[in-house]
Parts: sequence; structure tokens; C-alpha cells
Amino acid sequence: VAKTSLTSPPWPKVKLPDPVEEAKFHAEVVQKVNKMIATGQYGRLFAVVHFASKQWKITSEDLIMMDNVLEAECGDRIRLEKVLLVGADDFTLIGRPLLGKELVRVEATVIEKTESWPKINMRFRKRRNYQRKKIIVHPQTVLRINTIEIFPCLS
Amino acid sequence: MVVLSAARWVRSRLTDRFWRVQEVLKYARHFRGRKNRCYKLAVRSVRRAFVKSTKARREKKRFLRALWITRIEAASLEHGLKYPAFISNLIKSQVELNRKVIADLAIYEPKTFKSLAALAQRRRQEGFLAALGDGKEPEGIFSRIVHRY
Repeated sequence: VAKTSLTSPPWPKVKLPDPVEEAKFHAEVVQKVNKMIATGQYGRLFAVVHFASKQWKITSEDLIMMDNVLEAECGDRIRLEKVLLVGADDFTLIGRPLLGKELVRVEATVIEKTESWPKINMRFRKRRNYQRKKIIVHPQTVLRINTIEIFPCLS
Repeated sequence: MVVLSAARWVRSRLTDRFWRVQEVLKYARHFRGRKNRCYKLAVRSVRRAFVKSTKARREKKRFLRALWITRIEAASLEHGLKYPAFISNLIKSQVELNRKVIADLAIYEPKTFKSLAALAQRRRQEGFLAALGDGKEPEGIFSRIVHRY
């Protein structure tokens, strides 16, 4: 059959590596990372956490402020469960979409529960004698991330 | 005797005009020109400032998302992937990171971003292979290719 513009697809031909060899390579990498985690050869860990309908990139000892009320008193320790990604200098663990609870543990403390500064909502239509002014004060919570820990239970 | 209503010849005078004016001028103090001093000009400017800030709060979200997308596009082009390919393949691999976090990773964690780009590239290639199928001719009568020997 003659070669036309539609005989071969517009992307270049793709060759994937051998699945058996790849599986061996993957198992090796997982073993290595497990050993690294078990021996503790990582520095500072960062994590991407889904909390209060937002995603945050956090490390230990950093502050997070959210625009809502948490039903926890000041000084309560909280465990953030929906972890999407954990990384260190040499390896990252990417969750699809979440990582297991027995793999990562992120602890935080509620530091303060305040209100935001008074924000002004104003609506105005010209030549119509229409203006409305509303002052909105919404509650905020500040969390301090205490620790991020990982455990060597990869497989 | 108890008087419940004020007498008709007593008129009330406005005594806190100063503070009512200051309430508006305090929001205009950092403006340029006479509108930071004169009440009549300040009222108009302050009203426009409030309305603009309310509208800007809604547009800030759009603006920031466009900024994140530009940054992710630049970072993924450094790794040889275009933005639509990167994002669509990440979503197909069930990685639910949003654009804000991916942009932060691209700035502060380059190695992690490289691994995400590699993941997206691998998923893209598997998608191409799956789209090609077996490589044989399709069955059916009208789609059969005629061989002329």
C-alpha cells in the first residue's frame, strides 16, 4: 500500500522498555528507597496536603492560615490525613491520588483562631442612585505544622 | 412631669460631622492630589476604590491561575513537554495536584518537577501505543484494503 500522510501517526514511533526488565528495575528502586527511609538518610521532608478544600505545600515548622473555622480548640494536635505527595532531597513519593495513612504522618497544632481584617464589599451603579456597602469579617485559623514522618512500608 | 416628645421649637444640630468626614478620609489618605484632603473629591475616589477592590477580588483568582499555568508551561518546556500534554497526562495518571502546587514545585523543588514530567511523558507514550492498537488491518467489508497483485 502506498505511503500517504495518514499511513503513520503524526507522533514519532514509540518504543517502551522491556516490561520484565522494567519490573525488576522498579522493584530495585523501591527496595533502595525503603532502605533509605528505614535508615533515615533524608534531610527535611516536604509534603503536599489537601486541607480545607485547598492544597498546601508544607514543611515542618511552618504556619498555615485558612479562612474558616476548625472545630478544635487552640493547642490541639491535629493529624492531616489527605497527603498527595511527600518528598525529600533524593526521592519523592507521589500518591495516585493520595498516599497511604500508614506511610506518612503529618501533625499540626492549632495556634490561633481570629477574624480577618474587615473587608469592604461595595456595589455602585452610576446615575442610578444605587450603592450598597457591606463589611465582611470572616474567621481564620492558624496552624503550625509540627512534624512530617514517613515509615518504610513501600512494596 | 415627664415629657416624652421634644418641644417643637428645639432644633437638633449635627455635632459629629468631623468624625463622619474622617471615616471617609481615612481610606483616602494615601491617594494622590486633592482627593486625599477634600471630602467632596475623596468620597468619589473612595467609592470607586471600594468597588474596584470588590471586583478585583474575583479577578485575582483568574489572574493567579493564568500565572500558574504560564509558569508550569515554562517549566515543562524545559523538560521537553508542552503544557496540555503535561497536565492531561498527569490527570490521566491519577495525580490530583493543582496548578498552584505544581507551580510551587517547579520553582522550589526542581527534581520533583522533573520526576512529574517524566511520569507525564511515560503516560503519554503509553497512550500513543494504546491508540495505535494492534497494527493490523481493520475487519469489515468497506474498510478492507484491496491488494492488487
